[in-house]
Amino acid sequence: MSSSAPDPEPSGGVPPSGPDHPASAALPAVAGTPLGAGEEARVSYLAAVMARLSRNRVARFGLYAVFGLVALATLAPVFALNQPFYWDAGQGAEFPWFAALFNRLFFENAVDILFNLVLVTAPFAWPVFWWLSRTRPLDFWPRAWARYLGAVLMVFACISVEHVGPWENPLHFTSRVRNYRLERDRGIELGQAPRALFPPLPYSYRETNPTGSLLRPNAEHWLGTDTEGRDVFCRMLYGTRISLTIGVVAVFIYVSIGTALGALAGYFGGWVDNLVSRLVEVMITFPSFFLILTLAALVEERSIFHVMLIIGLTNWTGVARLIRAEFLRQKNLEYVQAARAMGLGSGRIIFLHILPNAIAPALVSATFGIASAILIESSLSFLGVGDTSVASWGETLNTGRIQQKLWLVLAPGAAIFFVVTVFNLVGEGIRDALDPKLRV
Amino acid sequence: MRAYILRRLLMMIPTFFGISLLVFAVLNLAPGRPGANNNSGDVASNARGEATEESYKVFREQFNLDKPILLNTRFLLDVADIRRAVELVAETGSTNISERLEAREELEDLGNYAVPQLVRVLREADRDGRTRVRDTAAYFLRLNAPRRLMEPFNPAPSPSVRAHNDEVSAERSRLRDLRYDFDAPEARKQAAVAGWSAWYDEVKGRFAYGRAEQLRILFGDTRFAAYWRNLSRLDFGVSLATRAPVMATLLSKLKYSLSLSVVSLLLAYALAIPLGIFSAVKRNTTADRVLTTTLFMLYSLPSFFVATVLLFFLSEGSDFRLLRIFPTGGFESPGSQDLTTIERLLDIAWHLVLPIACLTYGSLAALSRYMRTGLLEVIGSDYIRTARAKGLHERVVIGKHALKNALLPIITLLAGLLPAVLGGSVVIEYIFGIPGIGLWTIESIYQRDYNVIMGVQLLTTLLVLFGILLTDIGYALVDPRIRYH
Repeated sequence: MSSSAPDPEPSGGVPPSGPDHPASAALPAVAGTPLGAGEEARVSYLAAVMARLSRNRVARFGLYAVFGLVALATLAPVFALNQPFYWDAGQGAEFPWFAALFNRLFFENAVDILFNLVLVTAPFAWPVFWWLSRTRPLDFWPRAWARYLGAVLMVFACISVEHVGPWENPLHFTSRVRNYRLERDRGIELGQAPRALFPPLPYSYRETNPTGSLLRPNAEHWLGTDTEGRDVFCRMLYGTRISLTIGVVAVFIYVSIGTALGALAGYFGGWVDNLVSRLVEVMITFPSFFLILTLAALVEERSIFHVMLIIGLTNWTGVARLIRAEFLRQKNLEYVQAARAMGLGSGRIIFLHILPNAIAPALVSATFGIASAILIESSLSFLGVGDTSVASWGETLNTGRIQQKLWLVLAPGAAIFFVVTVFNLVGEGIRDALDPKLRV
Repeated sequence: MRAYILRRLLMMIPTFFGISLLVFAVLNLAPGRPGANNNSGDVASNARGEATEESYKVFREQFNLDKPILLNTRFLLDVADIRRAVELVAETGSTNISERLEAREELEDLGNYAVPQLVRVLREADRDGRTRVRDTAAYFLRLNAPRRLMEPFNPAPSPSVRAHNDEVSAERSRLRDLRYDFDAPEARKQAAVAGWSAWYDEVKGRFAYGRAEQLRILFGDTRFAAYWRNLSRLDFGVSLATRAPVMATLLSKLKYSLSLSVVSLLLAYALAIPLGIFSAVKRNTTADRVLTTTLFMLYSLPSFFVATVLLFFLSEGSDFRLLRIFPTGGFESPGSQDLTTIERLLDIAWHLVLPIACLTYGSLAALSRYMRTGLLEVIGSDYIRTARAKGLHERVVIGKHALKNALLPIITLLAGLLPAVLGGSVVIEYIFGIPGIGLWTIESIYQRDYNVIMGVQLLTTLLVLFGILLTDIGYALVDPRIRYH
């Protein structure tokens, strides 16, 4: 099992690279030849953890499922959009699908625009990376993908800022929507079928249909339709984007807050520690769901980003406590004393020396945190205080509850269950890999 | 022991202070003006009418929303500012609507403090013949001049309060006569302006603030001070929707929520401990694997989904005749007051089976997992090996030696579970229609019922604080290593 090369980094999403991958190269060496303590340390901590993680079958399944979910979220428009890839009704070829990707009438939400940006640019990035990787060191892939994602985010941030200059925002245009599906059906009736290639599911998640509401699952609508006649399968698919983004962004926010506060409290101690500890105490006493609900309800015109921010601002206490404990334990270890003796500044010691050694437990809790953030978001939209403009699983579930339609309940419920389970599995795997003592 | 409890109680005070500070911050710094409805801010073409105008102002006053948040410097108001604001509101046509709306809100919020300045603006405008500014000033005087009644919701006020209120009411009715429409005849307007002038000359002394008075206003007449004043009296005001006092309603609803969460927690512990022991003792057998996997999956199932599905299949609305076992919701059947005590308890239990099941399985899964790992850790330790080496029966080794130490971390978990269970009961109460605190919170949030939201936040945290205290005491009682002095 360990002979197949382990995945270098969970964020990568790339098949294992080669036989001389760092982890797989290092492990046999450890096992095979007697090494001194100094040489043993050459197996990097991360590589050892990853090797252990890859031996855990359940966790590996979880990791692959996460990659699958990310791929599904990115490829959603390929599976479901009401615009054809190719359209030819006798007046020349058109490619409406590509234009629709950044049309605000189809994708109003910034989350969608971001995923579409990835969808459009990834096929171009892949060959470039592949070509580059032949001459680069072997831990190239995770870094390359991280840089690529960073670049996409920066492009997105630059372009999506509105009113910065005289030019029109290229990611914020709206253009007339043609109902190609209707045109095709009409053409077929008249006997002049256009040459068209639609996605397998020719619906958009916002496309309402007053005449086809609350349809049972059938050949056209695989999971039926909701009260407004929107295709449920399509909404589930696009809901993946929302859930993943919520989970990752909210957790990123609270890991940042918790890490900063915990590190300060643990490293400096004294009144800083006192203040942070009191703050943590106050926050954990709150029934956090009440607080989240109140905050969400107080924000008028809330968007999905408000929900992320609220979840992030209310859940940082766990991370702060973990990081603080680690800092308390490590701040007087020899390597920190050495760094201090070298005259390094506090900031450098905290962030470059101690933090990399102290972050592991926080990362485990972050993985579980993604699952719970997804749960919180879906309960918020279930209660009707989420962002109503996006395709949220919780909202569909509530519709099903009110309408007493089982298919509207089971589909989102299964989706939430699957995503939450997958992230919990990965979290368990990482925890076991970090602390093998607990695995009995 | 008593000293320990006392110290813990004292330590709760700063925490509760922090909590109430946070609640205050959340409610006051959140964007959006509660109770406001959008209009053009034009006084003359007023869509709201006087009744709504009045009630909106009363609403803002009642919730102290008209006051500044931290420091009140309104005794230093400058007449030029008021003049500018009045002119801004009086102007029709081209001015920026949002600016005008803002000026209008500001004038309304200034309340009594702006009266001298408004009277000055009124007199100046009357002298200069700027009728529109004059009429607007008169309009705001009409809104701001009346004093507040003391204890307006008290059915039996003390004599002094009643005397004060009678005086205020008399003045109010006198000032009400000074109201005029913008299209009233000029003579009527003139009379009203003269009336305002005369009234102001009479009560002028009221608006000259001494040093002490200024200091009191600076710190005392703010939202922050009002919040603490009410809090120290445990007065959360009245509900905006029902006009019932928040505290009393909350206490009456506590029994629903507490019976849910306490029973659920007890049940979770009662089930989780044996399950955890079982799967730790039988570790890595098929039974353990099945149990662990099942609990893990339960842990990932959202409770609102489970609740919906259970209701769909097992409630009286079910499609399957045989499965119509449980009611669709509520805490007890209508008319259950007539039943005997035992029948009534059975009726309540029948209603609560599904909600409690939904509330319990999540914490049950978490607890039994902790129990399992905790016990496994203890079993691996030296003293257990010693106990086994002594030839003790395995039942004694596990049940007596290991369990004692493995239970300790489980007890501390209660402190973390309590807020989660209280928060989780929101969704469960919403789905099952149980009229507890959670459902009330959601309804109040939909209606922006500020007093209720605040009261619920504070009281649930107080509940959690006491839960944590109980946990600590329990822990100190069980663990001899903890010294309390």
